[in-house]
Amino acid sequence: MALDLQKIRQDFPLLSTKVHGKPPIYFDNACASLRPQIVIDVVKDYYEKYSVCGGRSKYYLAEIVSQKMDAARIAIAKFIGAKRKEEIVFTRNTTEGINLVAYGLNWKAGDVILTSDKEHNSNLIPWQILVKTKRVIHKIVPTHEDGTFDLTAYENALKEQSVTLVAMGSTSNLDGVSFPMEKIVSLAHQHGARVLFDAAQTVPSQPVDVVKLDVDYMAFSAHKMLGPSGMGALYAKYALLEELAPFMVGGSTVEYTTYTDHKFLPPPEKFEAGLQDYAGIIGFGEAVKYLESIGLDAIVQHELELNTFLTAELTKIPRLKIIGPADPALRGGVVTFLVDGVDSHQIAMMADEMAGIMIRSGQHCVHSWFDARGVHTAARASVYLYNTLDECRTFTETIKKIISLF
Amino acid sequence: MFCIIAFVVFSILSLFSATHRPLAKEAMACVFRRMTLRPCNTGFKEKVKSRLTAKLAVRSTFAARTFNRHSEVFSWIFFVLMLWSTVWVIRGGVNFYLYGSCNGLNASGFCVFDPTGSNGKVTTVENTVCPTGPVEERKVTLGDLQLQNYPHQSEAGAEDKLVFIGCYSCDYTRKAYPMIQNILKLKPFDYTFIHFPAKPETQFLSDYVYCANKLDPQKFWTLNESLISSSVPDILAPKFVDGLVTKAGYDAGEFQSCLIDPATDAAVKKQEEEILTTGLYGTPTIFINDGVFVGPKPDRVYKRSLKGFWW
Repeated sequence: MALDLQKIRQDFPLLSTKVHGKPPIYFDNACASLRPQIVIDVVKDYYEKYSVCGGRSKYYLAEIVSQKMDAARIAIAKFIGAKRKEEIVFTRNTTEGINLVAYGLNWKAGDVILTSDKEHNSNLIPWQILVKTKRVIHKIVPTHEDGTFDLTAYENALKEQSVTLVAMGSTSNLDGVSFPMEKIVSLAHQHGARVLFDAAQTVPSQPVDVVKLDVDYMAFSAHKMLGPSGMGALYAKYALLEELAPFMVGGSTVEYTTYTDHKFLPPPEKFEAGLQDYAGIIGFGEAVKYLESIGLDAIVQHELELNTFLTAELTKIPRLKIIGPADPALRGGVVTFLVDGVDSHQIAMMADEMAGIMIRSGQHCVHSWFDARGVHTAARASVYLYNTLDECRTFTETIKKIISLF
Repeated sequence: MFCIIAFVVFSILSLFSATHRPLAKEAMACVFRRMTLRPCNTGFKEKVKSRLTAKLAVRSTFAARTFNRHSEVFSWIFFVLMLWSTVWVIRGGVNFYLYGSCNGLNASGFCVFDPTGSNGKVTTVENTVCPTGPVEERKVTLGDLQLQNYPHQSEAGAEDKLVFIGCYSCDYTRKAYPMIQNILKLKPFDYTFIHFPAKPETQFLSDYVYCANKLDPQKFWTLNESLISSSVPDILAPKFVDGLVTKAGYDAGEFQSCLIDPATDAAVKKQEEEILTTGLYGTPTIFINDGVFVGPKPDRVYKRSLKGFWW
């Protein structure tokens, strides 16, 4: 079903403002999405109407906070198909979720961690640190030339050596390519490995069912899916959460303490140390409800329609090369491109100045991929549910004009 | 080169606009890196260039393309212009210090250090034999002037010569006069004062000066001081001047006889013709040794012409 774009756009107050005197064209959704009024309202409500501690106090307003926090956890669990709300641990973002797994697992020297060759720094650096501190082995599975997943290479890697953890970005923020999550999990499990997905780019735009996937850990962020900044979640099977050591400890994580000892609360509380971002949690819950009301299948379809147009128009431009597969259906809402002889930062800055278009330029936190290929930078446009075909048209016309200036 | 230009431009803008200060700092960082032989990898150039190109592109694609493709050439052009203008500013500053005008000695034209042009203003000589239009300073010389025929003071041990050609009723003569008096106090001088009637209504004062110098050169200086220190409307009235003559100690009858003597008139006319041989085009014109100063100048300019004063 097609999205009611007019109605959706009215929900996002930023879209009715002006940037450089023009209506903003926001194409940096792979970094952070815009926030609908309903999310802004519930965050504001928390600070205006019940900005107190949840979880620990027993008075009326504290109960409201606890209830809303609980409701948000339930909504998020439901959104990704988790069996239990306790399988959702609130974090600051995907990065924190990955770090929680990296630092919480009991590593032994020689354990093998498998990643792809185009991981976000958040799913690369923690493992590089473990290589140095725990003497684990970090192996990289190459992708195909067009960025799609190389299942054969993956299977071979699993067979070559006993793998402890497969840690992969399920959808690349570099080129928008989604990996075959189900296949990755089933093969990993066949070889006795656990799987952690960096699903920061997947959860906002695709239906995800963690039970069906049978994934062990999955981290994602609120700010890419209409939720507040500084909020995220780690999903993990409850049994795995029980054996995972807390990454950060302190208030709210324990049942009791003595001068010499303590007893942790069960998951997820044992991982949520200190006063939580209640407004962020409640806003996160509201964001997933909003996405559910729109429907993720419709969002997938909408992104495909926009990306098909973008790809068709951009490929007409000489000197421009799209990173990733030619088929837009394999790139979700992302189109990353580079232009021979033109710095991507300049493209981004000029698009902003000329037409109020916001795109990302640089190495997109995937420096390793750029370094290995000797590519300097690339520009990335990423669309979401509120973007329109007209905006895409303005974008492609502007890019054509910019390139003609060089 | 782009960063150097940006640094200069944004630094100047920063004086008036806080929003430009971060850009000036970025440009400075970029210039510093280049000066320390490191590449400027701050992205500053790309940022500024992109913004400028984009702003141009909204108005003219051709202009944007030209700027974007040749920004380095434009930067060099601006750099050369900047150097050129800097040299001129320094030259102007030096000239202002040495001559009181950015444009050189006795030169007119706008000077940023003297925006009102007060150091170059003169009362033009309204005489048919005077040149019209700009007159070059080098054409003004002492010419055929017989200094002994004019009011003259020579102090013992004088090694500096000062000739002041002024007009009693002229504003700029009156402005320069006290400065010259201060200069005269610095050391012994060979000093000559010449009244030239730049304003026709002061013509009659030439006769008074001639007679005063002829009858008693010593008393002339008292009369001279009185004429300068009295108001302009007063000294334009012969009766008032007669009073000053009497106060200076002259015999009124003898003075009047001199004034009505046809020989006085002839002598004064001859003197005026002689004065014009200097190329005089405005008052005050002051000769100090080899220097010629047209219009009132700052003290330092006069002092630099004195022997033994070089600063």
